[in-house]
Amino acid sequence: MKRPELIARFLIVTGILLAVGAPLFLWARTPLIHARMAEDGGWNPDIIQAQVGKPLHLKITSDDVVHGFAVGQMDMQSVDILPGKVTDITLNFDKPGIYTFYCTRWCGLNHWRMRGTIEVSGSPLDPEPVSPPLYVSLDLDLDAPHEAPLIPADQPSAINGQPLTATNSITLSREDYLTHSPYDVFTELKNTSLTEEQRWDVVAYIWQSNTTSVSFANGKELYAQNCAACHGENGAGDGVFADDLAIAGESSMQSMEGAMDMVMQSPVDFTDPHRMLGASPALLQGKILRGGMGTGMPMWGSIFTEEQIWDLIAYIYSFQFEYQN
Amino acid sequence: MRPTPNTDRPTSHNLMRFHFSLLLLVTAGLVVAFAPLPAQPITPQERTFEIDAHQFAYSPSEIKVNPGDTVTIQLVSTDVVHGIYVDDYDISVEADPGQSATLTFVADKPGSFRFRCNITCGAMHPFMIGKLTVGSNNWLYRSIGLAALAVLGMTVSRKQKA
Repeated sequence: MKRPELIARFLIVTGILLAVGAPLFLWARTPLIHARMAEDGGWNPDIIQAQVGKPLHLKITSDDVVHGFAVGQMDMQSVDILPGKVTDITLNFDKPGIYTFYCTRWCGLNHWRMRGTIEVSGSPLDPEPVSPPLYVSLDLDLDAPHEAPLIPADQPSAINGQPLTATNSITLSREDYLTHSPYDVFTELKNTSLTEEQRWDVVAYIWQSNTTSVSFANGKELYAQNCAACHGENGAGDGVFADDLAIAGESSMQSMEGAMDMVMQSPVDFTDPHRMLGASPALLQGKILRGGMGTGMPMWGSIFTEEQIWDLIAYIYSFQFEYQN
Repeated sequence: MRPTPNTDRPTSHNLMRFHFSLLLLVTAGLVVAFAPLPAQPITPQERTFEIDAHQFAYSPSEIKVNPGDTVTIQLVSTDVVHGIYVDDYDISVEADPGQSATLTFVADKPGSFRFRCNITCGAMHPFMIGKLTVGSNNWLYRSIGLAALAVLGMTVSRKQKA
């Protein structure tokens, strides 16, 4: 072989290798994340590394049904992940830490287990001081029953409560609202000249005045997207998964008090006044933050912002009180 | 009709009778196939159906309405995200569990239409179908009538030959 021929051959081979290899190399740099139902493994991979200030490119596809992708506590629109389609997502992080990403479209009974983490490294490394949630500072036992010993005969009405609250100049600070249950406030109104029914109406009005129409609508939307499948659209604990959860509870009993666990498996009924009127917002916040310790209630602390949780709680109380539209 | 063999030539009288009955049959057939039905005045009403969607079926999977009805379908998913798309009407809605979704339309096209899941919901997703029937299936009755006429014609012609 002559030298020019050798050079030509070498050039052609190198060119072909580059033309095939370069795209392959670049493509491999962005791994494809596969989404599957939680029963089949959920997100794969479910731990992603990222850096502050560097945009994180993700390519996600679904292997079975429609899933969704969102990162908890970040203000982002959730993105649908469709089977047979690769969805590109670019994320920017301005604070280091561990973020939770989760599925946003119901993909079965264990949909909420479909979670993963993004570990974001970088500076600033001094974490902001975090105040413990209210239930910790109040030393509330989330798992003890907090029943209201006395419940109203009829549904308390904020509409009737509004003039009563004004004429008797009853006020309750935001902090007192958060730390007291409706029944506590009802008890404190003993010293007024109001009847029991009127006192409940005042409580309903106080609870309504601790949310705005925007917050309430936001809570309603969050409830529909994340809670209604188990707790039911009307809060009665009769969502489409309620029966499945009870069956799942029966088959997964591996604890000392198996029978108790089975009872705990059915979603809580928010229309039950004994339970709801004895629960303070701080207690409910704790339950939502921490989840239900083996009951199938997800842990939302890493997903919702604090504001979202208060909006949600304001909405959950509306199953007890009659509010103005 | 079968061509009659030469050995068995029908007389002119027989031929006329045969032509006459053939004409009668054809006319009856045309009437059965194309005669306009007496219009029954049906006052359109509002109907609501709750359809439960789960892997991989709808229940109920068949809904029947009258032409002109205002139909509301409330779709309730009980496992994963499902949707409903009605052929020809070209309308769709999707429902996540816990968030039922409604679809309202006026059934102004008569006939039978497939509705199908339009959200990939698992392995058997393509087979998740149902049927919307608007009005009665007149073509079915007309074709039964035509078939009966054909049988009648065959027996008559056999009898005449015998």
